[in-house]
Amino acid sequence: MRKLVVCDPDKCLGCQICEFVCSAVKEKSLDSSLSRIHVVNFENLGNVAMACMLCEKPPCVTACPRRALHQNEEGVIQVDETKCNGCGWCIIACKFGAITLHSKRRTVTICDLCDGEPECVKACPFEGALAYATLEEVAHKFRRSTVVCILQELADKSKRSV
Amino acid sequence: MFGYMGRILRINLTNEKVKEEPLEEETARKFIGGRGLGAKILFDELRPGIDPLSPENKLVIATGVVTGIPFAGNSCHSVMAKSPLTGIWGESHAKGYFGPEMKHAGYDAIIVEGKARKPVYIWICDRRVEIRDASNLWGKLTRETQKLIKKDVKDEMAQVGCIGPAGENLVRTANVLFGFNHVAGRTGMGAVMGSKNLKAIAVSGTLKVRYANEEKLVDILLTKLNEKEALKGPYWPDTLYKIGSLADFSYWQITGRLPTMNFRKCQFAGYEAVSGETLAKSGYVIRHDTCPYCYVACNRAVEIHYPYEVDPEYATPEYESLAALSSLCMIDNMAAVLKAIELCNKYGMDTISTGVAVAFAMECYEKGLITEKDTEGLDLSWGNHESFVQLVEKIAKREGIGNLLAEGVKRAAEKIGKGAEEFAMHVKGLELPMHEIRGMKGHGLAYATSNRGACHLQVETDDLFEGNLCPEIGIDEKTFPRNTRDKLYAGPEKVKLNKIIGDLFALFDSLVVCKWTVYPCGGTKITTLTEIINAATGWNITINELMKTGERIFNLCRAFNVREGITRKDDMLPKRFTEPLMEGPYKGETFTEEILNKMLDYFYEFRGWNKQTGVPTREKLEELELGYVADQLENLGISC
Repeated sequence: MRKLVVCDPDKCLGCQICEFVCSAVKEKSLDSSLSRIHVVNFENLGNVAMACMLCEKPPCVTACPRRALHQNEEGVIQVDETKCNGCGWCIIACKFGAITLHSKRRTVTICDLCDGEPECVKACPFEGALAYATLEEVAHKFRRSTVVCILQELADKSKRSV
Repeated sequence: MFGYMGRILRINLTNEKVKEEPLEEETARKFIGGRGLGAKILFDELRPGIDPLSPENKLVIATGVVTGIPFAGNSCHSVMAKSPLTGIWGESHAKGYFGPEMKHAGYDAIIVEGKARKPVYIWICDRRVEIRDASNLWGKLTRETQKLIKKDVKDEMAQVGCIGPAGENLVRTANVLFGFNHVAGRTGMGAVMGSKNLKAIAVSGTLKVRYANEEKLVDILLTKLNEKEALKGPYWPDTLYKIGSLADFSYWQITGRLPTMNFRKCQFAGYEAVSGETLAKSGYVIRHDTCPYCYVACNRAVEIHYPYEVDPEYATPEYESLAALSSLCMIDNMAAVLKAIELCNKYGMDTISTGVAVAFAMECYEKGLITEKDTEGLDLSWGNHESFVQLVEKIAKREGIGNLLAEGVKRAAEKIGKGAEEFAMHVKGLELPMHEIRGMKGHGLAYATSNRGACHLQVETDDLFEGNLCPEIGIDEKTFPRNTRDKLYAGPEKVKLNKIIGDLFALFDSLVVCKWTVYPCGGTKITTLTEIINAATGWNITINELMKTGERIFNLCRAFNVREGITRKDDMLPKRFTEPLMEGPYKGETFTEEILNKMLDYFYEFRGWNKQTGVPTREKLEELELGYVADQLENLGISC
């Protein structure tokens, strides 16, 4: 199954270190608008960092009129820079806002998972906020934490009834 | 210019004129930004003796060279004006998202002059500046105001710094609240905004700062991030995330230096009920919060429903707030303390000053200087948390006795008379922060000589340097043997240390960096900062030059104060510290006038100031390229 960069909104504090690391490693730049991952920050609700979700049926690929986008076996959307003219149809098609237009090259950029070792995940300082995992692993993590809560409650209940 | 936006924005609220001025590179290098830039602007432009709440006063919000560069502790900005609380140099520093956003909106500094005819707020987006009507916002609570403004400007990523009802009511301890509880708390900057009818400043921007050597800067920052340098400090291992600065509460309690009962005691019997560890285990903490690009994450929000309803939007406790509003007033009810913190943030009031004011009122009540008639039925006995919470709200609203306390303890004591001055814990009008100085002599000198009044953030020597050294800036074992760094040592080496740290912290406040991330509180070394500054600006600045800059800024702030009439006799401490401590490991310790006077003599000597008057000498000022300051002081008849 495909592995992707996923964020746990309960753990993410919105520090934007992932954004900095992405633009620093990929573009040698401090301009975080060049990052492939973006933090959406809602002061009172919480924060989520969002990157490419590696959709099984990627609408961005379908939307590209110049056939510049291509999804490889790992699910990464690859951009053919010779074909891309920065028209932005893929940006409109992506409901996660995971695609950005590079302000200098004028082509689009999408998370490439750093060849299987995403720098943003490595740099994330808050344990569990960013993970490189399959959706199944993510689901399992949530199942597990919920079951732990339920079991804990049952245990407390039986203790009380004793 | 690299590393800066190179522009200062000047807004005159009286005639609604907006002007952009260039920030010259020479000025930038000499004053860096933040406190330094503010000091230069306010010294040059304010006439001495003006009323801080008059339209003549100016409010400066300034960022520094590192503001916005993505590393831990980068995201600070300074708010400065002549203080309505102390009548001298006023400054306060806030963290969070506002500073970087302000730079991206196009400006290194914003100067607000004059007074608007009706309530307004300022909206700055990518160098477009608007002065907008804020009549409907007047009277609104702080976070409410921020949300309404974001809606009004149709930009939810806008950053808003605003005052609450306390600032509107010209409470002299009012603060300015930026975003989610990042507060410029001290010296009453909120009242200055209130006096100008300025409810808020909102910024948003996409402009980019140009850096001289961006690739090198990226490399430095990535390396330091990998090392997690800011967490490598000796003082806060990883407690800042787990417990926050609240961990200090138990530390000061155990070491007998926790200000209790308006500084009469130094250990608090009920401390366990309100300590940081108790809070961490309580389940009240619903989430942590951090500043941009910072992995320290010292901020936390708490929610409580009983016995007080505490809103997590406002309740973000840290050590100073907690101690000022618990042990100092003998309150051992966690919910009440957090409620008081929430109220302070809601109405926009400094938690430290409010705590000291309440403790002052409680002592006056105990001694019979104020009675139930004055308090309108409030029973201000020590530890009465119900009256305590009501009193905090009364101060913000300037109701009844609150109207008196809203003036700050110095003015309140003068009005009450009958010896109330003895219970007013302040230096130069600024209420004392939460560190008991009898058990740490360096702190005492810091309180007496800090430019904004009693302050623990302008110089901090004792606990920080007792076990640590910093040879890069001349703090080595040879010059400062271990015994001279001891908390109780009050000799010349300690004073020398005070001078070096005073210059260093003036530099930090100008860069502007968070002191919890830089050595020795945090781990970021001065050498790292120098590398970052050079890569960003293309200067070839050395640590020596930076320290000289720090000294220049410290002296300029002092000159500002001298011009307002501050002399050696004002560098004093409250009388209470001449009484011995009653308990704890430092039982019997005092801070007598004799100790202070000896330290002051050394202090003026090392600073190059006149020993009799405490005025910086012309020689010193000229050495710091501040000859024009000496000229101005002499023109005013102050010999230097």
